Amino acid sequence: MSQTITIDPVTRLEGHGKITIYLDAQGEVENAQFHVTQVRGFERFSQGRPYYEMPSLMARICGICPVSHLIASAKACEAIMSVRIPHTAAQLRRMLNLAQMVQSHALSFFYLSSPDLLLGMESNPVARNIFGVAEARPDLGRAGVGLRRFGQHIIELLGDKRIHPGWVVPGGVTEPLSSAKRDEILAMIPEAYANIALALDWYKKIAENFKAEIDVFANFPSLYLGLINEDESIEFTDGALRLIGEQGQTLEDGITASRFTEVIGEAVEPYSYTKFAYVKSLGYPQGSYRVGPLARLNIVKSMGTPKAEREFTLFKQLAAGPVESSFHYHHARLIEVLYGIEKIEQILTDTLILDKHVRASAGVNRLEGAGQAEAPRGTLNHHYKVDENGLITWANLVIATGQNNNAMNRGVLQVAKKYVKDRKFSEGAMNRVEAVVRTFDPCLSCSTHAYGQMPLVLTLVSPEGEIVDQLVR
Amino acid sequence: MTSLHIRCLILACGNTLRSDDGIGPWLADWAKDRFQGDRTIEVIRRHQWTPELAEDIAHAASVLFIDCSAASPPGSVSVIAVEASSSTNALATHHIGAPELLGLARDLYHSLPRAAVLLTVGAGSLELGERFSQPVLDATPLACAKLEEAVSQLIVHRAPRD
Repeated sequence: MSQTITIDPVTRLEGHGKITIYLDAQGEVENAQFHVTQVRGFERFSQGRPYYEMPSLMARICGICPVSHLIASAKACEAIMSVRIPHTAAQLRRMLNLAQMVQSHALSFFYLSSPDLLLGMESNPVARNIFGVAEARPDLGRAGVGLRRFGQHIIELLGDKRIHPGWVVPGGVTEPLSSAKRDEILAMIPEAYANIALALDWYKKIAENFKAEIDVFANFPSLYLGLINEDESIEFTDGALRLIGEQGQTLEDGITASRFTEVIGEAVEPYSYTKFAYVKSLGYPQGSYRVGPLARLNIVKSMGTPKAEREFTLFKQLAAGPVESSFHYHHARLIEVLYGIEKIEQILTDTLILDKHVRASAGVNRLEGAGQAEAPRGTLNHHYKVDENGLITWANLVIATGQNNNAMNRGVLQVAKKYVKDRKFSEGAMNRVEAVVRTFDPCLSCSTHAYGQMPLVLTLVSPEGEIVDQLVR
Repeated sequence: MTSLHIRCLILACGNTLRSDDGIGPWLADWAKDRFQGDRTIEVIRRHQWTPELAEDIAHAASVLFIDCSAASPPGSVSVIAVEASSSTNALATHHIGAPELLGLARDLYHSLPRAAVLLTVGAGSLELGERFSQPVLDATPLACAKLEEAVSQLIVHRAPRD
C-alpha cells in the first residue's frame, strides 16, 4: 500500500510551498515533490501594457528581490529601445542590485536558516526562530539585523523606497547620486564589514557540526549556471551567463539575454505552478541545473575583491571540483555578502559616480528584447515582444526557483530517504526536509501581503484517504 | 536610524491598498505634519513591521505603535500599554507584532523604551481599496486627537490610558 506525506505550507521560506513525500508499499520513501501553489499571471496580464511600464509592474512580483526584476526588466526594455545606458547609471544599478543581495542574503541566513544552525535541527521548534537566535547569540542577531538594514537603507537612499523602488527605468535611473547620500553609504561600510566578519567566523566554526546534513542536502553532481565577467570574476548585473558541467568544465559561455532561449528550455509538471528550466541540448530532466550563490561560486574563477577573494579561496578547498552539497549555499551566501559590501565601497569611489548623466532615451527600435540579472537566489531572465506602438504582446520570465526546482526535489528525496523512518515524520526529519529547501532560498513569488498566520500541517495519508499520522506546527 | 535623543518614536504599519488597513500610514502622515520641526519625535511608516525595527525601538525613549485592528468594532479607537514579549505567536520574517518587536529590542540590544503604547482603530473593511470605510472615516478626528494625547503623555514618561 503506497502512502503520501505532505508538508503544507513549508515554513521559513519566501512564499508558500508544499512538499509531498511518497512512500512505497514497504513504507520506504520512493519519491518527493516540492510544489509551488500560487498562480501569479504576470506574463499574461502585462500583455497590452506599454513596455516602459514593465519594470515597475514586474518589480511587484516580489517584495524581497524587486530590484532584480526591475533591472532584468529595464534591460529587456533597453534591448527593445536599442540603447546602451550611461556608465554611471550602470554603476548605480549595480550598487542597488548588490544592496538587495546583501539584505536578501541576510534575511535568508540570519532569519530563516541560522535558527537551525545555531540551535540544532532537532531543537525545540518553538525556539527555532529569530527570538531563539536573539536569546542564544544576541551578537549574531544584531549582525543579521545590521546587514538587513545596511542593504535596505542603501535601496531606500537610492530609490526612495525600501520595497519596489521606481528609480530604475528603461534607459538608466531617474536621479543621479548626491554626494550626501554617497557619504552616508560610505559611513555604513565599517559596521557592515564587522557584521559579516562575525557571521563568517561563526559559520566556519559550526559548519563541521553538520556533516550528516552536508552529506544529504542535495549533495550530487549537477550543472550550474550564473553570470560571469569577461575576466571570469563574479557578476550580478551585467556580464554574460556561463554554464558548467558536473566536473566544472564550461559547457556554454557568453550566453547573453538574447541567446538565453537558444540554450535554456522550460518544462511543465502537473504538480507545480512553477516551470522547470533545463539545458535544451541535454533534454529534460537530464539538463536540469542549479543557480544561486553555490552555482555562482562554482562558476567564477575569482570574486574580484580582496576580502571576498580570501574567503573564496577557503571555499574552493571544500572540493576538488564544483562544491556539490546545497548545504554550502549558506557559506557561499555569506561570501557574496562580503563581496557585495566591498563592491559597493569600490563603486562609490568611481570618479564618475556623481555624474548627472544617468539616463538614455529612445523609442521602439526592435520588436523583441531580453534582459538578465542575478537575483540573490539565482539567474533571472525577462523576455518581451512588443508591437509597433510599444505595447507588450508576449512576455516570459525565467526565475531562479524554476531553475532550482529539480535540484530541490532531489534534495528533499535525499533527506527524506535518510530521515523518514517507520512511516513517521519526526520533528527533526520534518525540519531537515524544510531546511534543505531553505538552503536554496527559493522565492515562491513572494509578496508582502500575507494576512494572518499559517499553520504547518504534516499529514500521512493512505491511498484510501485515511490519515494515519499528522503533525501540526 | 533613531538615536537616544528621540523622545517618541511613532511606528505605524498598514497597507494603503487594503482599505482600513491604510489607517496606520494615514495617521503616520498626519503625525509627520503635526510634529514637523520637532526633531525629538520620529515617525516611521511601514507596510509591515519587521525585525529590523527593533534597533530603532531600542534607541528611543518611548514608542507609539499604530495599527488597525480586525478584532475591534469598526471605528473604535483604543490606546493600550504594550509589554515586551518573546512569544512567537505573531512571529514571521515579514511581519511581527508590537510586543515581539519590544522583545527583540530587549534581547538584541538590551534596551527598552521607558513606555510603549499601541493605538488601534477598528477596521470595517480590509478588502482591496484605497478608501476608508465610513466608521473609520468618521473616527479619524478622534484617532488624531488620541495620537496627539498619547505622544504628549509619552514624552513626559507617562503611559496614556483610554
